[in-house]
Amino acid sequence: MTTGTPSLLRRAAGSDFLLRFRRNRNAMIGSAIVLVVVLVAILAPFIAPHDPERINMLAIWEPPGSDYLLGTDSLGRDVLSRILFGAQVSLIIAGSVLAVTLTVGVVLGMVAGYFGGWAETLIMRTVDVIFAFPELILAILVAAALGTGTVTVIIALSLVWWPGIARLTRSLVLSVREEMFVDAAIASGTPAWKILVRHLLPNIVSPIIVRASVGVGFIIMAEATLSFLGIGVQEPTPTWGGMIRDGLASLRTDPHLALYTSLALGLTIIGFNMLGDGLRDLLDPKVRDR
Amino acid sequence: MFTFVVKRVLGLIPVLLVAITLTFLANQMVPGDPIQTLLSDHSGNAALEARLRTAYGLDRPLIVQFFDYIWSILNGDFGLSFRFAQMPVIDVISSSLMISPILALSALAIAFPLGLLLGTLAAIKQNSWVDTGIILVLVAGISIPNFALASFLVYLFALQLNWVPVAGWGSFEQAILPVTLLIVPAAAYIARLSRTYMLEVLRTDYIRTARAKGLREKVIIWRHALRNTLVPLLTTVGIILGGLLSGTFVVETIFNIPGLGSLAIQAIFARDYPVTMAIVLLFTIFFAGINLLVDLTYGLIDPRIRLGGNRA
Repeated sequence: MTTGTPSLLRRAAGSDFLLRFRRNRNAMIGSAIVLVVVLVAILAPFIAPHDPERINMLAIWEPPGSDYLLGTDSLGRDVLSRILFGAQVSLIIAGSVLAVTLTVGVVLGMVAGYFGGWAETLIMRTVDVIFAFPELILAILVAAALGTGTVTVIIALSLVWWPGIARLTRSLVLSVREEMFVDAAIASGTPAWKILVRHLLPNIVSPIIVRASVGVGFIIMAEATLSFLGIGVQEPTPTWGGMIRDGLASLRTDPHLALYTSLALGLTIIGFNMLGDGLRDLLDPKVRDR
Repeated sequence: MFTFVVKRVLGLIPVLLVAITLTFLANQMVPGDPIQTLLSDHSGNAALEARLRTAYGLDRPLIVQFFDYIWSILNGDFGLSFRFAQMPVIDVISSSLMISPILALSALAIAFPLGLLLGTLAAIKQNSWVDTGIILVLVAGISIPNFALASFLVYLFALQLNWVPVAGWGSFEQAILPVTLLIVPAAAYIARLSRTYMLEVLRTDYIRTARAKGLREKVIIWRHALRNTLVPLLTTVGIILGGLLSGTFVVETIFNIPGLGSLAIQAIFARDYPVTMAIVLLFTIFFAGINLLVDLTYGLIDPRIRLGGNRA
């Protein structure tokens, strides 16, 4: 009986969000594109017409046609299949970077904001130092020091991205910490970790989600840039950045590789950025009230 | 103001120290022995090996090497290149030294007013088709990586229309495409921010007052509102410049421009770490210097910054 009203309210709030989501053009277009990219990434092994890594020296630089819908590259590998599998590589790296940066950033940001003291000083000084580097150049430095490869890319990009999340989390915690319900929890003897997880986290989660969703597009872009420069994920793994580099080198004679791959990469990032913008409009109360 | 300047300049020291330490550590962590690589065919020649080790200072304890590294950098000496045997790093990079900053700064000089103009236009026509159109272009401009955009632009303007050269460096025509590629994301970013700031400013009381006393809309926008959107925009110049500097790595690689960015990438592949690290350090110093300049300008414009000194 007593639980009836809250659950009704919750359902109303949920449908309200869905309604506003559907009315938001950015969110709708963005989520449609993202959905396609995610599906492609998951289904790549089933829908790719060829093995993305199989070299066929009898079919190098085939133009787009019936055998190879988007043509082949300098080693006779099917461009379409490589684009489809490239989506998988991009999303796996973006997902891993997001998971690492959210975990590290939120935990350190909460520790800094809630406990203060030397922990805060140490964490925030580290954040300041990382911010003093141009993002991509720091990632290049790390990649150069650790050697190339998927794991290196994830480490390099995570290192660059967690400070933003940590700084945001800290500032959110600082403002929520002043609320009465936190005082009440402290007064009733709730352990600190429980206050952080049960009372603070739910109240700061939506701006963090917004920040993360806006970041996905940029993480994908940064990964592609490292691969483009040749210091990211290495051949023969198909990466959009690496494919565009190869394609640019033979743009005059065989433009299909660079153009189609650039299109796939550009559209994917546009999709993620539109979804991120849409979510920000929907979840950020400052924007919503306008 | 004086204490503010001193504080900010002193604040740079730990950042640079960390940057130097990081580059030094990165140098150490790198796999392989650079001297063995350098020796290649002469790997059995112990006398030569010892001589090279002394020349590169690699025969001393790590901690001595570290302080020596700091001391040398303070004196503008970045050590010797691994790729070009016994050639000082400074000689390797000296001819490329100015290209990346020139590219980045000229792009910024065009992107800033362009972005400001687009953002302001979108803001004053809010929710019209002009606004929607500009926003679409901005989303694309921010989202499409410069090397992906490069494939379209090079294909269209250099290969199909033959308007500009495909690559190279030295003439004005050769600079058009690379600078354009740097301008697009920067201008889009600036436009997006200036649209937001402009919309905020247009809702303030003093704009309402200006309208109430019958000022023309043009004067209100371009004289009153624009000034107050400029102030928050100024703080983002640092971020934008960071993006532009990173962009030079890509653009220089695409167009075979002999700047620091492409040199750094070549050095990474050649395992010429002293050169890579010197370039990273130079970029960081340049970046920190610009940020310092922005901070100081901001403090000059807005007294609350230099008096409060409390950063959010």
